[in-house]
Amino acid sequence: MRVLVVEDEAALRGQIAARLREEGFAVEEAPDGQEALYMGGELPVDAAIVDLGLPGLDGIEVIRRWREAGRGFPVLILTARGRWQDKVQGLEAGADDYLAKPFHMEELLARLRALLRRSAGWASPVIRCGPVELDPASHEVRVDGAPVELTAFEFRLLRYLMLHAGEVVSKSELSEHLYEEDADRDSNVIEVLVARLRRKLDPERRLEPIETLRGRGYRFRLERAGA
Amino acid sequence: MRAPRSLAARLLAAASGVLAAFLLLTGLALDRAFRDGVRDAQRARLEAQVYALLAALDVERGRVIMPPALPEARYATAGSGLYAEIADAEGRVLWRSASAVGLGIPWPPDPDPGEHAFARVRATDGQALFAYAYGVQWEGAGGALPLVVRVAEETSAYEAQVAGFRRSLALWLGAASLALLLVEAALLRWGLAPLRRLAREVAAVEAGERELVSGRYPAEVQPLVDALNALIRSGRALIERYRNALGDLAHSLKTPLAVLHGAAEGREGPEALRAAVLEQAARMQRLVDYHLQRAAAAGRSPAARAVPVAPVVARVLATLEKVHAARGVALESAVGPGVRFLGDEGDLMELVGNLADNACKHGGRRVRVSAEADPEGRLRALVVEDDGPGIAPERRAALLARGTRGDTRAEGQGIGLAVVAEIAAAYGGTVEIGHGADLGGARVTVRLAP
Repeated sequence: MRVLVVEDEAALRGQIAARLREEGFAVEEAPDGQEALYMGGELPVDAAIVDLGLPGLDGIEVIRRWREAGRGFPVLILTARGRWQDKVQGLEAGADDYLAKPFHMEELLARLRALLRRSAGWASPVIRCGPVELDPASHEVRVDGAPVELTAFEFRLLRYLMLHAGEVVSKSELSEHLYEEDADRDSNVIEVLVARLRRKLDPERRLEPIETLRGRGYRFRLERAGA
Repeated sequence: MRAPRSLAARLLAAASGVLAAFLLLTGLALDRAFRDGVRDAQRARLEAQVYALLAALDVERGRVIMPPALPEARYATAGSGLYAEIADAEGRVLWRSASAVGLGIPWPPDPDPGEHAFARVRATDGQALFAYAYGVQWEGAGGALPLVVRVAEETSAYEAQVAGFRRSLALWLGAASLALLLVEAALLRWGLAPLRRLAREVAAVEAGERELVSGRYPAEVQPLVDALNALIRSGRALIERYRNALGDLAHSLKTPLAVLHGAAEGREGPEALRAAVLEQAARMQRLVDYHLQRAAAAGRSPAARAVPVAPVVARVLATLEKVHAARGVALESAVGPGVRFLGDEGDLMELVGNLADNACKHGGRRVRVSAEADPEGRLRALVVEDDGPGIAPERRAALLARGTRGDTRAEGQGIGLAVVAEIAAAYGGTVEIGHGADLGGARVTVRLAP
C-alpha cells in the first residue's frame, strides 16, 4: 500500500511518514500543494493524507483537482481548525474523512486503515477470505484460527492481495504499490515472496489461496467473507 | 473619484439656481408689463392732445385755421418735444405747429377716418418720438373734408420712467434674493443640525469619550443611529469575548506548564517525564480546542444575513454520511425549505455538525435533524434526535456546562455539546437535552431567542 503524505510542517510530515513505514506502508512525501498535485496525479498511490493549510495551492484545491483528473484514491484531511465549515468544504471537495490537529498517531492509522478497507470494498475491520484472516491493525494473520508468523514485507504483500481479493494483480502493480518511488525494484523478489507466502499460509497445499495467472499476475482466490 | 460635495453645498447650489432663474423670469415679466403700461398711457396722452387740437381748429374754404393761443404752450416753442401737424387726404400739410418747424418726422401711414396709428419713430434730428395719427372726417360748411391729425412727443419721459422702474425693480429683486438666500442658509443649518450632532457624537464614541451615540434624532436619522449603536455594542461584545477567551486560555495553560516545569526539574526517570509530557500535552490540546471553539462563535451581528437552514443541514449531513459510511448511519433532515437562520453560516454549521456528529458517534443508527420556525420563517429551534442509548439525566448538566475549564472535563467526553451551548448563548439561546419519544434516543434542542 502506497500512501502520500502532504504536510508542509517537516517535523510532523517526518513523524507521520516514519510511523506509516513502521506499519508497512510505502510512503511518498509532499511538502506543498504543487508537489502533492503532481505525485497524487502521477504515482499509483492507494491513499493520501492531506493537510488543508498548505503554502501556495491549498489542500482543498489539491483534492478538487485530483478528483477532477479522475483520481479516486481515499483522502484523509488534516485540519488545524476544527470548524465544521472546513470539514464540510474538505469533504465536498472530495476528501473521505477528516482529523483535527493535534491528533494521536494511532487515531490517524485507524482512520487510514478504515479508508483503505472501505475503498477496497471491505466493511469489517478484520479481513477474512475463507479460513484466512488478516487484522490490519494488529498485523496478525491466522489460518483456521492458528496464528501465522510473517515478515513485514510478506505481511504487506498479503495485505495488498487480500484487500484486492478476487482481482487479478499484476507483478508490476504489486511492485508499484509495495515499494516507494525511489526504491530498487526486482520482480523476482515478488515471485520469491509469493512462493514463501504460499508455503506459510498453506503448508499442506489444500487451500491454494494465491493462484498464478500466467503472464497476468496473481489472484487471491479464496472467497471474501463478511464483505 | 472626486469626494461628493457636502449636503449643505448641494442643497444651497440647487436652491440658488432655482431662485436665480425664478427672479430673472419675474424681472423680465414685470419689466415688460410696466413698459406696455407706460406706452399705453403715452398713447392715451397723445390721443387727448389730438382731441384738444380738433376742438381748437376751424376749417374755412379748405384751409385750416388755428387760434394763436393753442391749448398747449409747447406747440409754440421750437424743439419743445411736442409737435403737431394736420394734413389732408392727399398728404398735403395744412398746418404745422411752430415747434415742428424744420423737423422731419417719419409719421406712421395715414389712417382712414375714425382710425388711428401709433408708432415709435426717430426724427431727422435724431430724437426718438412717439407718433400718433388720427383720421377724421371734418363736417364743415363746405361739405365733408377728410383730415389727418398728427401729434408726436419725445420719448424721454417714457425712458426716464422705465429706467426708474428698472432701478427699483433690480433693487427689490436683489434684496429679496439676498433675503431668500439667507433664509435658505439658515434653514439648511437648522435642518442638517441633527447630522452635525450625529457626527460629533460618533467622533466622541471614537475618541472613547462616550459609550454610545445618545439622544433622540429625527425619524429619518433615528434608524441609522439605532443601527450604529447596535454595531458598536456587538463589536464591543465581540472584543470583550475575544479578550476573555484569550485571558482564559492563557491562564488555563499555566497549570500544565507548571506541571511540565516541575516534571523537568524533578528527579524521576525518563519514563515519568514522558508520561507527564504526554498527559500535559493532551490536556493543553483540550484547553486550546475548547477555547478556540468558544471564541469562534460569531454570534448574532446586527448586519446578519438570513441563512437558509435546509441547505446547510444537507451539506453537513452529506459530510457525516461519508465519514460514518462504514457504520451505515441513516441521516435525515426534516427541515422545511423556507426556514432561515439570522446569523453566521459557520455557527449554524457548527451547531448542526456537533450535534449530528455526537448522535452518530454515540450509537445512533438513525439521526434526524428538524427545525421549528416562527411564522416569518426565522429559525427558533434546531432539534437533533437519534435512536441511540440516550443521555442519562444526571450527566446532562455537566455536558452543557459552559465556561468550565476544558481541563475539568473527562477525556472522551468531547467538547461538542459545550461548544453548542456556547454558540447558543452567543445568540441568546439555550440548549436542552432530553429524550426523543419518536426515535427513542437522545433529543437535543437548541432554542434561539426571537
